[in-house]
Amino acid sequence: MSAVWSVVRAAVRRRRFQTLAIALVVLFSSATAVAALALLAASSEPFDRVFAEQRSAHVTVTFDAALASDADVAATAGLEGVSAAAGPFGQIATVLELPGEHGVQLPVTIAGRDDPGGPVDRVDLREGRWAEAPGEIVLSSAFADQGSSASPFQVGTDLTASDGTGFTVVGFASSFGRTAGAWVTADQMAAMGPTATQMLYRLTEHETDADIDEALAAITAAVPADAFTGAQSYLALKEDVSAELGIFLVLLTVFGILGLAVAVLIVANVVGGAVVSGLRHIGILKALGFTPRQVVLVYLAMVSLPALAGAAIGTVLGHLLATGVMADTFRDAGLGSPTVSPWADAAAFAGMPLLVVLAALAPALRAHRLSAAEAISAGGAPRSGRGLRVQRRLSGTPLPRSVSLGLGLPFARPGRTALTAAAVVLGVTTATFTAGLAAFATEVDAMIQRHEAAEVEVLGGPGGPAAESGTALGDRETEALLAGMEDVSNVTANLRMPVSALGFAKTPTLWFIRGDSSDMGFDEQLVDGRWLGAPGEAVVSSKLVHQNGVEPGDEITLELDGRTATVSVVGVVMGSGTGTVYTDWGILTGLAPDVEGLGQPIVYEVALESGTDPAAFLAAVEDEGLFGQTTRQSDATGIAVVALATAFALMLGAVAALGVFNTVALDARERRRDLAMLKSIGMTPRQVEAMMVTSMAALGVIGGLAGIGLGVLAHRQVMRLAAAASQIDMPDSLLRTWNAPLLVLLALAGLAIAVAGAYLPARRAARLTIAEALRSE
Amino acid sequence: MRPPRARPYVDGMNDATDPPPVLVELDRLRKEYGDTTALDDVSLTIRRGEALAVMGPSGSGKSTMLNMIAGLDRPTSGTVTVDGKEIGGLDETGRSLFRRRTISMIFQFFNLLDDLTVLDNVALAAQLAGARAPQARKRALDLLDELGIADRRDLYPATLSGGERQRAAVARALVNRPALLLADEPTGALDSQAGEQVMDLLIDLNQIGQTLLIVTHDPNLAVRCAGRIVEFADGRIVGERTLERAS
Repeated sequence: MSAVWSVVRAAVRRRRFQTLAIALVVLFSSATAVAALALLAASSEPFDRVFAEQRSAHVTVTFDAALASDADVAATAGLEGVSAAAGPFGQIATVLELPGEHGVQLPVTIAGRDDPGGPVDRVDLREGRWAEAPGEIVLSSAFADQGSSASPFQVGTDLTASDGTGFTVVGFASSFGRTAGAWVTADQMAAMGPTATQMLYRLTEHETDADIDEALAAITAAVPADAFTGAQSYLALKEDVSAELGIFLVLLTVFGILGLAVAVLIVANVVGGAVVSGLRHIGILKALGFTPRQVVLVYLAMVSLPALAGAAIGTVLGHLLATGVMADTFRDAGLGSPTVSPWADAAAFAGMPLLVVLAALAPALRAHRLSAAEAISAGGAPRSGRGLRVQRRLSGTPLPRSVSLGLGLPFARPGRTALTAAAVVLGVTTATFTAGLAAFATEVDAMIQRHEAAEVEVLGGPGGPAAESGTALGDRETEALLAGMEDVSNVTANLRMPVSALGFAKTPTLWFIRGDSSDMGFDEQLVDGRWLGAPGEAVVSSKLVHQNGVEPGDEITLELDGRTATVSVVGVVMGSGTGTVYTDWGILTGLAPDVEGLGQPIVYEVALESGTDPAAFLAAVEDEGLFGQTTRQSDATGIAVVALATAFALMLGAVAALGVFNTVALDARERRRDLAMLKSIGMTPRQVEAMMVTSMAALGVIGGLAGIGLGVLAHRQVMRLAAAASQIDMPDSLLRTWNAPLLVLLALAGLAIAVAGAYLPARRAARLTIAEALRSE
Repeated sequence: MRPPRARPYVDGMNDATDPPPVLVELDRLRKEYGDTTALDDVSLTIRRGEALAVMGPSGSGKSTMLNMIAGLDRPTSGTVTVDGKEIGGLDETGRSLFRRRTISMIFQFFNLLDDLTVLDNVALAAQLAGARAPQARKRALDLLDELGIADRRDLYPATLSGGERQRAAVARALVNRPALLLADEPTGALDSQAGEQVMDLLIDLNQIGQTLLIVTHDPNLAVRCAGRIVEFADGRIVGERTLERAS
């Protein structure tokens, strides 16, 4: 066995504490790095990734089943420009109802498919199995929180369609192209009598709207006249998904970068410290006749062995963690199930030990240059001009001496202190960012859904679910019925439909609102101007401001079936990421005197008296034969992202605490003799503990304050960036998510990281046996 | 070189016929480290004002005994009583407080804190004992002045000579006016001239009544500074002699 290897083995065995610290830090850092890299990879262009994974349709076309036969529709698969097609699938719109007195109603489009796979739209079966026999149905996972015992829909649940057909839920699936809300077998669909036929196409040319339109023209021409009833382009879907997820993808990317930064910082700190603390040992090796090259080799090998072990275990743990966390997050966000890419594993497994070697190289090369005598003398307690001055000033303060000594310790090793502080700062920045994100997610959800103002919405009108089941009340009757119900303080009706606006490249969605909407939560979303106050006025979503340059004071001319109406823009609201114009019901009746003839559903928003239970009110609504739901819907994407962010914040906090742990352990080791001397002149174990913990607590407080500042700043900037990416303007109130108790709590996070990391090595230092320490030196 | 001097057993406050009270009493002290017996049935008393030198080869148990008296280590059996207090039963904090109030130590390698000036090193012990910073610094400065290194007060230990460092260490040891000063090879790391200065200092301290326990290899140091010499070998006391008292 070579002398180098003997020394390396002995050093690894003798310095068990340091070896363990390096292995642990690299383990945590590797796990963090794998998760961070996997997150970055999965967050990059998720639409394209999932779209490709599921081979989703570039265009989904529906035909009138009475006018086009299956053979007519199937023949379109061979058209020029169609690279793949699936279908024809029978399709029907219905309402599924849970049996029971207050059964839940689910308006849904059902498609008849025998196979979730195929050349186009490979549906992701997430739970249970595919429908194989009549009476079996697979629901879209968007309708149910899987695994949640609170969900009314589970595998095995019995449902009844509007036509009386009974179903048992056998599985949950997700179609990224949103081709249907439920699936049954083709035979079952045939038995129900489909009203439409669905055909899914992938196209060779599909980059632009014009490409899609050209393909649609060819398809329309290939089927009998008027058989074409509608189409959904993937470009519109892509825009929707980007608007929904843009903000969260930016956040996930930020977390990925933060994770990598903390991992790199901590590894550099730990390894650099390990080599510096071994300088005396290096001097002795040189004195024994080791060449400078051998000395460097000893030190690189000494830190690389535990690093390799830590990286191997950390990569495996990180892979498992990232797989689990991402599966939940991305699936809940409708982004499929990304796997941890092998390069993320490889980069962490190879990168972390490489980083360790690089971090060790600088001090090892310094050791290479030092003479044996210099190395031995450099291995003692550190000296620093600034540190000495600080100690001198602190010694004159009225603070307890153990505290003032502790406060001065970080100045003795400014480089190590800076790296440790940076890790604490990043840990607190992450915690602050996460707290801001959680508060933001809650508030933005409340603001968009307006569930504080309008607790319940009831769907009615000619296009509503009740109409499908043939039990519809008229528009005015529904409104009157709701307004007359107990505990109702206000009812507004709105009809939402796309209406052309002159000069607009894209057709906006119009909300025609009837009733007093002044207290229905729209004004909280205002980013400019005011809410509707008089007939003929309009408020636009901020997306339209970005897309069309509309501002308060401008006029918009709307056109529907040859009729036009002009509205004056008086305000801008945040909106939910779509181009929306809010105006009054009078404009609708001007554009379409026969509102019921439009066949559109009408949403009745109901504000309840304070203290009313929305669930009890909904039960009363359903007793009246209406379909209602609470506006307080769970935001699966928001919850998943906040959960992921919390997991990341905890992980980075743990890694930062590990960095502090290592710093105190190294300090205690280097100052072993000083600590023994202090104890010999009467410093109690508690005072030693206080001194060592204080040395990091001050760093924790300062790091905490800096981290809060950075976290708040980063939160604001990232939110603005994310909003800009989604072309949304946010009211300033959304960015003021911070309050004094929260900030105090976050400031304590820095202290908690520091104290948690410092406590164990400080206790160990306090238990140091004086006689042993003084003798061994 | 100054001639060897026998030390007075009592200070001037005591009647010459009345022996000074016992400050340190070791009773059947035994210390084992695994299979090794470092101290074996050691009994010894040190009276107030006495200067006792402990000599013996390396590994004979003299430093172990010093650690027991300082409360730095616990005996396997037997008792150590210092200033009327049995310190074997004290917990870690109790022993720290005992050291702070009753004893001080000086070491072969000084053990000054490199980060602190000479003045702050000396004041530190007083501050740990509860003195406020200005008081502690005044006491420290007075001692440095008495020991002739007041002009070095703002320097850091690394810039001092060996003799100056040991004087600073002595000043630190005296700042809380300890009943017992323990010295572990106090001249072991010094050249002969600096060693002489430290010996004179110890003699002067004993003359004004400071009780001393010196562990040393150096017969010259033992003979010059101590009134009684105890010889250790294999963890036992194998000899004891009292030096002639100077008239």
